[in-house]
Amino acid sequence: MLTLHVDEARWRRHLEQVRDADPSVVPVAKGNGYGLGLVRLAETAQSLGLDTLAVGTYAEVPVVERHFDGSVLVLSPWRPFETRATYDPRLIHTVGRVSDVEDLTSDPSRGRPRVALELLTSMRRHGFTPAELRAAAPLVDRLQVEGFALHLPMDHGSHLGEVERLLNDIVASGIEARTVWISHLAADDMTRLRSSYGDFDVRPRTGTGLWLGDRGALRVTSSVLDVHPVERGDVYGYRGRSAPRAGHILVVSGGTAHGIGLEAPTGGASLRDRAARVAKGGLDAAGFVRSPFTVTGKQRLFAEPPHMQASMLFLPHGAAVPAIGDQVDVQVRFTATAFDQTLLG
Amino acid sequence: MSRLDVRPVSAEEHRAFIRSRRHASFLQTPAWGEVKSDWRRESLGWYDATGTLVGVALVLYRQLPKVKRYLAYLPEGPVVDWDAEDLADWLTPMTAHLKAQGAFAVRIGPPVVTRRWDAAAVKAGVADEGVHRLGEVPPTRREPVGARVLGRLRELGWQQQVAEGGFAAGQPQYNFQVPLRTPEGEQRTEDDVLKAMNQQWRRNIKKAAKEGVVTRRVPSAELDTALRQFHVLYVHTAERDHFTPRPLGYFTTMFAALGAEDPDRIALFTAEHEGDLVASTILIQVGGHVWYSYGASSTEKRDVRGSNAVQWEMMRHALEQGADVYDLRGITDTLDSDDSHVGLIQFKVGTGGEAVEHVGEWDLPLNRALYKAFSLYMARRG
Repeated sequence: MLTLHVDEARWRRHLEQVRDADPSVVPVAKGNGYGLGLVRLAETAQSLGLDTLAVGTYAEVPVVERHFDGSVLVLSPWRPFETRATYDPRLIHTVGRVSDVEDLTSDPSRGRPRVALELLTSMRRHGFTPAELRAAAPLVDRLQVEGFALHLPMDHGSHLGEVERLLNDIVASGIEARTVWISHLAADDMTRLRSSYGDFDVRPRTGTGLWLGDRGALRVTSSVLDVHPVERGDVYGYRGRSAPRAGHILVVSGGTAHGIGLEAPTGGASLRDRAARVAKGGLDAAGFVRSPFTVTGKQRLFAEPPHMQASMLFLPHGAAVPAIGDQVDVQVRFTATAFDQTLLG
Repeated sequence: MSRLDVRPVSAEEHRAFIRSRRHASFLQTPAWGEVKSDWRRESLGWYDATGTLVGVALVLYRQLPKVKRYLAYLPEGPVVDWDAEDLADWLTPMTAHLKAQGAFAVRIGPPVVTRRWDAAAVKAGVADEGVHRLGEVPPTRREPVGARVLGRLRELGWQQQVAEGGFAAGQPQYNFQVPLRTPEGEQRTEDDVLKAMNQQWRRNIKKAAKEGVVTRRVPSAELDTALRQFHVLYVHTAERDHFTPRPLGYFTTMFAALGAEDPDRIALFTAEHEGDLVASTILIQVGGHVWYSYGASSTEKRDVRGSNAVQWEMMRHALEQGADVYDLRGITDTLDSDDSHVGLIQFKVGTGGEAVEHVGEWDLPLNRALYKAFSLYMARRG
């Protein structure tokens, strides 16, 4: 079993701290629910008394809507080819193109949809440029504009200058709405912004920092499923590899179906990160890849690439051998992991 | 918009265009160029495709030491359509012309408001210990046109000149204005303007009348004498308030140049108490905009409230003229209650008007090396 253990009291304490520090926070529940599941996140947002929940896509709306009473903000931009979009009054759509505004308002049966107008930030993913926003301004009367969405890049120092330019573009558009949903803004910047833009309602949008903000409240373990002693030269695995030296083959739960061994390109791009990657490639070439499983205090090597639901690890001679049924720790990327079970305690 | 042509116009064409507009800064009149006689000046016109004059500017060329290159300065200008869909249509042909005239950089001061704070908002800011600058108080209103000009100038490569405290560079970015019309455009009554003032202002105006203070606009026949008396009082004020006074000649030139454009363009006002001059002020008017430009007041007999009385006289004059706004000119953006400038703000706030922030002054370097040298030179001059 790949198990997520949640120290519920501690987790809850952290969530309440975030909410108390800023009751206008908009939690994000998208994808696999940061490993915790969309339903749990929706229920938790409800119990925290928050008024708006953000989801990633229209497909996620029906999942959270049954467990959360407030407004649901869809972060993926509305597109005319989106077939799953519904238009009930609790839904806030994200719009970022002039033609999408035209298309969205072309069907009167949709009523007057609530929308967040997304602005193009230095991320250059979705959203209106200043000129496009001005072009959209006369058309948005047909929509209920709730506010503006800004999706900032992570890190790279202060974003205050960029945010102030974007808020200026909002004023320039002549659109009256004054709510701004904003992600990845440092606390200091938020404070300064709220002072100079006191006439705006600046609402932070947060996922990782909220749900996974206190990592100590979360622990992931995998069960030892089998143990086999091997001598140097013994053949094992799908691919018929032979053991480089004496030790044990450990079979643990957690494979590609859980997201184990699948990695997205990492964000780190420093020289050190790159050196680490080259070193890892060397291991890879020699037939060893470091696994995310920690056995008796050390991160162990994969004996071969992970299977769909289990992984084979190589435990060199001399290391303490765990018993079948023991739990070993696993480092995972929560947003890319499917757990077999979640235990709250 | 089709291409606009920019070329020099005569002072008469320039003046006629200004006359046709409800709002233009007096710093953009040809007469102002005569006041700034140590600068080379040029009147510029914008012509549309039909050959109609659609915009003007007064350009002051300030020479760089030792080189025949100039900073082209358009104080509170140019007088163009700042609400245009694309400002590049207006600014690009202008900068091309100025570059051909030897400009290494252009400095403009769009007469466009970005934010407004009513008297109550400013007052609350001064009272709040945690607030140090006007920008930290939520404005009563943000102006979309101003925001658009800011964004577009930045996109077009213009650089905002940040004046620390709001007074350092050229023209002040923050002004205090009393609207003389309702939001619906109707002229406000004297009563209405008085009622909007704070109690102290009203009390002071009443007190001046009770003390027998006589206020009036100086008729042209008495101007020479009155201007000399103004200057004596103004030099006295400068000593008391620690600023450097301008020579009398500056004011006589100003009256001669501005007065020649229009008899109501510039006027001197006085407040007298038992034959003593207690306050004297200069008013300037262009179209619907009236400015309180320079002021002087005596240290003696302060309690007869000549300053409030003469301001009220000028406001009444502005109302009679059918003006839209009475402009008390610059304030700093400080709201620190222990900053010496805050007294000036509080005096102006008492009129019940509003603090307005303009787009500010913006530079476009045309020759990077010379511009950098110029910036260093200005920084050293402090």
